[in-house]
Order: sequence, then C-alpha cells, then structure tokens
Amino acid sequence: MADKSLTCEIITPEKPVYQGEVEMLIAPGSDGELGILPLHSPLVTTLKTGEVRLRYNGEWDYVAITGGYLEVNEDKAIVLADDAEISSKIDTEKLKIEKKEIEEKIASLDHQHEEFFEATIKLEHIENKLRVAGKTKDKS
Amino acid sequence: MALIDLRRRIRSVDNTKQITKTMEMVAAAKIKRAQNRIEAARPYALTMMEVLENIGERVSVGQHPLLEVRSEIKHTVVILLSSDRGLCGAFNTNVIRKAEKLIKSEKAEGTKVSVYGIGKKGINYFKYTGNEFIGEIRDISDKPTFQDAKEIAEDLINRYIDKSIDKGVLVFNQFKSAMEQTAIEHVLLPIKKESVKSDDVEVSADYAFEPSDNAVLDQLLPTYIEALIYRSLMESAASEHGARRTAMKSATDNATDMIGHLTRSLNRARQALITQEISEIVGGAEAMAD
Repeated sequence: MADKSLTCEIITPEKPVYQGEVEMLIAPGSDGELGILPLHSPLVTTLKTGEVRLRYNGEWDYVAITGGYLEVNEDKAIVLADDAEISSKIDTEKLKIEKKEIEEKIASLDHQHEEFFEATIKLEHIENKLRVAGKTKDKS
Repeated sequence: MALIDLRRRIRSVDNTKQITKTMEMVAAAKIKRAQNRIEAARPYALTMMEVLENIGERVSVGQHPLLEVRSEIKHTVVILLSSDRGLCGAFNTNVIRKAEKLIKSEKAEGTKVSVYGIGKKGINYFKYTGNEFIGEIRDISDKPTFQDAKEIAEDLINRYIDKSIDKGVLVFNQFKSAMEQTAIEHVLLPIKKESVKSDDVEVSADYAFEPSDNAVLDQLLPTYIEALIYRSLMESAASEHGARRTAMKSATDNATDMIGHLTRSLNRARQALITQEISEIVGGAEAMAD
C-alpha cells in the first residue's frame, strides 16, 4: 500500500483550491469524521464545516472548509465545498476584523431576527477558519 | 460656422472620445477577468453534475419537492439579471424584451407573474411598468460571489417549497464571446428531471451514500440551484462587460469620424477666410492704383 496514493481535489464554486497526491485524507463527514485511504470503495457523503486533513510524505496539510460534499471514486477524492482555504493561506488579520464586526452585529440583533441566525452561522465559519489557520504542517 | 465654434466642438468631441476609449479599455480588461471566473467555476459545476447524475440513477427522483412538476401553475417568478450601470448598448434592452415577452405569455395563461430583479436597470424598468416584485438585489452585477447566489437560491427554494411560487425562470445574457451575447431564458424551478437523470450516463461505480442517498440528494439539489444561479450571474457579468466594450468601441469610432469631419470643415472655413482677406486686399490695392 505504501506506494499507492490518492489524488485529492478540493474545489469551490469560485475556484479550485487544492490538487495533489496524498496518502490519506480525513474529512468532517456529517455523521462524523472519516478517513479515506487509497483504494477506498466509491462513496459520496455530505460534509460539515470543519477541516480537511491531508497527509503526504508524512506531513499534514490543513484546509478549512465550509459545508459541501466528498466524492471518492477509484483513486480520486473530490471535495466540493462552499468555501475552502488552505491553512497557510488564511488571512487571519482580515478574519479577526470580520469576526469583530459580526460579533457586534450579533450583540445588536434580536435573537428572533432572521439575520441573527445568518450572522451566527457566518461567525461559526470565521471561527472555523481562524482555528484551522493556527495549524501548520506538523510531522506525524 | 465660425472658427471658434468649430474649435470648441472638436475639443468637446475629443474629450468624449477619451472617456469612451478609456471605458472601452477598462471593459476589455474586465471581460478577461470575468471569463477567467467562469472558467474557474467549471470544475465545481461539472463534478457536481456528475455526483447528481450518479445519485439520480439510484434513487427515485420523482418524489423530491424540487423535482415535482406541479399540474397547476399559479405563480411564476421571472428572475431577471440586468446591469447596475448603463452605457452598455443593447445589453439591458435585450433581457428586458425577453422577460417582457415571457411575462406576457405567462399572464395570457392566467398565471400570476412576479419579478425577482437583480441589477438596477431591470428593476427600474419593471417597477415603472408596474410589475410585482418578490426580490430586489442591487450592486452585485459587477462582481457576483457565490454567497450572493446562495442567498438568492435560498429565498427562491423556500418560496417554492412552501408553494407560494410554482415556477422560476431565469432570464439573462449568455456570454458567447466578447463580441456576442444572447438573452436567454432558463427554467430554474422545478429542476428538470433530465438534468438529474440522463440516459447517456454510465454509472461508473456503485457508490455508498452517507448519511443516506436521499439525505445527500436533499442537500445536493439546492446546491445545484445555487451553482446554476452563480453561473448565470457570472455569464451576465461577463456579457455586460462585453456589451459595454462593443458599445464604447463604436462610440470611440464615431467620435474619431466626427473629429475628422469637423477638422475638415474647420480647415475649409479657415482657408475661405484667408482667401477672402487676400481678395479684399488685392481689390483695395487695385482701387488705389487708378
């Protein structure tokens, strides 16, 4: 198995974010995390907001994703996400400002308000990105 | 015309020419960017279609509310994609005409028709003609994001599911090339079954679905609508830049022609003035000689 690898693609509606050979992929499935190794049987699943971990050459790469799907077929794993960003490319400064704005908005809104719900989801997405941004390539 | 008036006209036309020339170049640069964005969105759309078709083979797609064709259509929504700014030739006129035709034919069948307007120009026109609106979005036509598409899709899907609308039709300018854009209409809701289940797809693998095939389908169909709207928004944006470039190019060409004509008139008038002066002097000198 060691010489086997998996082609992984992470695609958002706006652009392809990642493409490369990986040894293993861990994705936040809606029923719990799932790990995909080469030669996995064909699978389609929905994903939660979270992080996708990719391992190659013994190093892990992290990608923050916002909702989406995972399709595995033969030696190809495709993640279709609403939004995705590789941890090293996340602009934390900008996100922190956005986070502050959203938090202020949430504080000012009535809990029953439609926008309150939307803002909470948005905050969750930003927090997710910030969390993943802290992770850099580790050895494992 | 007096010389001074001609000079003034030339200067004014030249100023206009500079503006149209600049707008032409800006639009040309934006077409390229808009085209790249359409390209970048293609992999997502293709992969999603593939997954959708694979699921379509497995589940009985007839039951899903978004696929259900209602026998009686009481309320149709026309989703009109126009631009926020003018000076783009027939861009808005084309979609507005198309939408108007559609509204007329739907109304002829006794259906109530509302407009979901995206872009100021279309909104203003249909407001003026007294149509009912269920949504208005301004200032996104230049640079639409997926988030914009998602919000529009959510709104429409909710209305469709609670049966306050029975049909949704997109009317937008399709981007064929930088020179050519055509106004087209596309039925968004209900989703055509053929787009989910087509005969020529070979089911390449027996997929496992998690949590279940129906749960995946439930999420995937709205995403399909989102992607479709996103694509239309981008096509419309690219078309807008294309139409503007063409319009500005012909304006620049016209200005060049006009300057040519005016310069010729100016030269002729100047020459005439000199000739007249000379003949006056000669005439005067001859009178003195006698």
